[in-house]
Amino acid sequence: MSLLVAKNLRKSFGGVKAVQDISLEVEPDSIFALIGPNGAGKSTTLNLLSGTYQPNSGSLSFNGQIITGLPAHQRVRMGIARTFQKIRLFKQLSLLDNVLAGFHIHHQIPFWQYLVPGSAFWHDWKRCREEGLELLEFVGLADLASQRAGSLAYGQQRLLEIARALATRPRLFMLDEPAAGLNGSEVQFLLQRLKDIRARGITVVVVEHNMDLVMNVADHVFVMDHGEYLFRGSPREVQDDPKVIAAYLGGELS
Amino acid sequence: MASAPLRPADRASLLQVPRQWPAYLVALVAIALLPYVLSTPYWRGILVVCAMNVMLALSLNLILGYTGQLNLGQSGFFAIGAYVTTVLVKSYSWNFWAAALIAVICAGLVGLLLAAFAVRLRGHYLGIASLGFAVIAYQILLNWESVTEGVRGIYGIMPPSPIRIPGLPEITFSNPVALFWLVGGIAFVVYVVVANLLRSPVGETLRAIREDEVSAASLGINPARWKAFAFGIGSAIAGLAGCFYPGFVGTLVPDAFGIVESFTMMAMVIVGGMGTMIGPVIGAIVLTCLPELLRDFGELRLMVYGLALTLVVLFMPGGMVQAGQMLRARFSRASSGASR
Repeated sequence: MSLLVAKNLRKSFGGVKAVQDISLEVEPDSIFALIGPNGAGKSTTLNLLSGTYQPNSGSLSFNGQIITGLPAHQRVRMGIARTFQKIRLFKQLSLLDNVLAGFHIHHQIPFWQYLVPGSAFWHDWKRCREEGLELLEFVGLADLASQRAGSLAYGQQRLLEIARALATRPRLFMLDEPAAGLNGSEVQFLLQRLKDIRARGITVVVVEHNMDLVMNVADHVFVMDHGEYLFRGSPREVQDDPKVIAAYLGGELS
Repeated sequence: MASAPLRPADRASLLQVPRQWPAYLVALVAIALLPYVLSTPYWRGILVVCAMNVMLALSLNLILGYTGQLNLGQSGFFAIGAYVTTVLVKSYSWNFWAAALIAVICAGLVGLLLAAFAVRLRGHYLGIASLGFAVIAYQILLNWESVTEGVRGIYGIMPPSPIRIPGLPEITFSNPVALFWLVGGIAFVVYVVVANLLRSPVGETLRAIREDEVSAASLGINPARWKAFAFGIGSAIAGLAGCFYPGFVGTLVPDAFGIVESFTMMAMVIVGGMGTMIGPVIGAIVLTCLPELLRDFGELRLMVYGLALTLVVLFMPGGMVQAGQMLRARFSRASSGASR
């Protein structure tokens, strides 16, 4: 059974039809890449899947449950996490505090211990910090744990956003152009991490421009152009498809 | 992108449980002794005002400093605490403590109403809406004369009623020392509870909303709900401070709750250090005592006060807490340089 099913999603902003009639299925434990030229509607689609935007029409289900209309914060509780194309860290907070905020839905503290901390409070406090440091280690930023997030280099900020989203313990993890602005070695590191995330049993959806990354990690590729579905298949099939090549090179071949 | 491991010493310090109680003990001793250090009736009165202002600054800091919601309506909640308590005691002969409880609940509920605006409005727009709330509150105090007595004011208000516990001597609050211990003690409890709350995951949640709401929602945080939480608790604390004001002054007039009071509270939070726990406490104490210390300047007093405020914001945007951290860093660098 597919983990995430979208049927006939439509979204327009004013008169601009950003997403028209998109249907897709994401298989569990796979890496699903959403690609297309600039302005193809990839980010909008991802925003519809995460609940940041609500569609004008169409339906969404996750793990067999209808999630159409559910706000973003409730989808997180069901196991859907995401990162943003334009990095949205808590810049004034430390790296560790950024990740700790990601544990919001996983605290186990009796109500009164928020006012007067007891053993359950301190147990939770320590467990979250240890787990937060593990996540920072996973993305290679643990030594900077007490630095301000805003002071990080660009590529490191992208990785911190990944660690923070993983703190919600997702089953489906969606990344919006995670390789944008990264240099070659950073892309290699990210690629390895995406494979590790899949190996942990987390399904990955990635919106990406970097073809190197898509061809190396994706199990399924979904191509969009001008807000519409264009093609789907394995990375190899996509690479060889004349429609896709035409869309990327300017439409002379079609 | 080699991942540098975390040094064991750094890991240990990050997992070190913070110890607060030595500082709390010092604060309690200070509250106990202050009325004897500053023993004139005049300064004992100022101590009580300090304690109330500390509560007000803490309440605004929760909303403005931690949750990042521009709130210029805090004087309105202070007024609700003061008037609801006084009217219930004077006109309906309620016991002070029961009246105070109702007043705090009222302030908190009205705070939730204002939070409904905070869900839809951001930044400056919320500032204007909350300012509107403060103006409306002030106008109600002026014009609802059958209840508030309007500009004539309410006179002869008694201090909080004595607490009688069987087997113990009666605790009365008619002298300024006892009144300071009461209000200072409550301010202390408010500080500890708010500090605990903000050190808990609730603090992480509120700061996440302050930094970026969309991002917070992507972590499962419901921004509307937590803004309402901050407004509700923050307003209730301002109402609590208001409960003690009339019994201390003895009279109650609307002018004590003009919108300028909202700005004074904001100045306390910013001058002390917005978004830190101790900053607003320092800010409240400094800005309460400073005008008194400047009395020698006569007519120039308020100008000197305004100039001091401007200079602080200009040169220490992070408030006195930040200035203190910078001084300490410079001092420790100087001393480590000398030892070499």
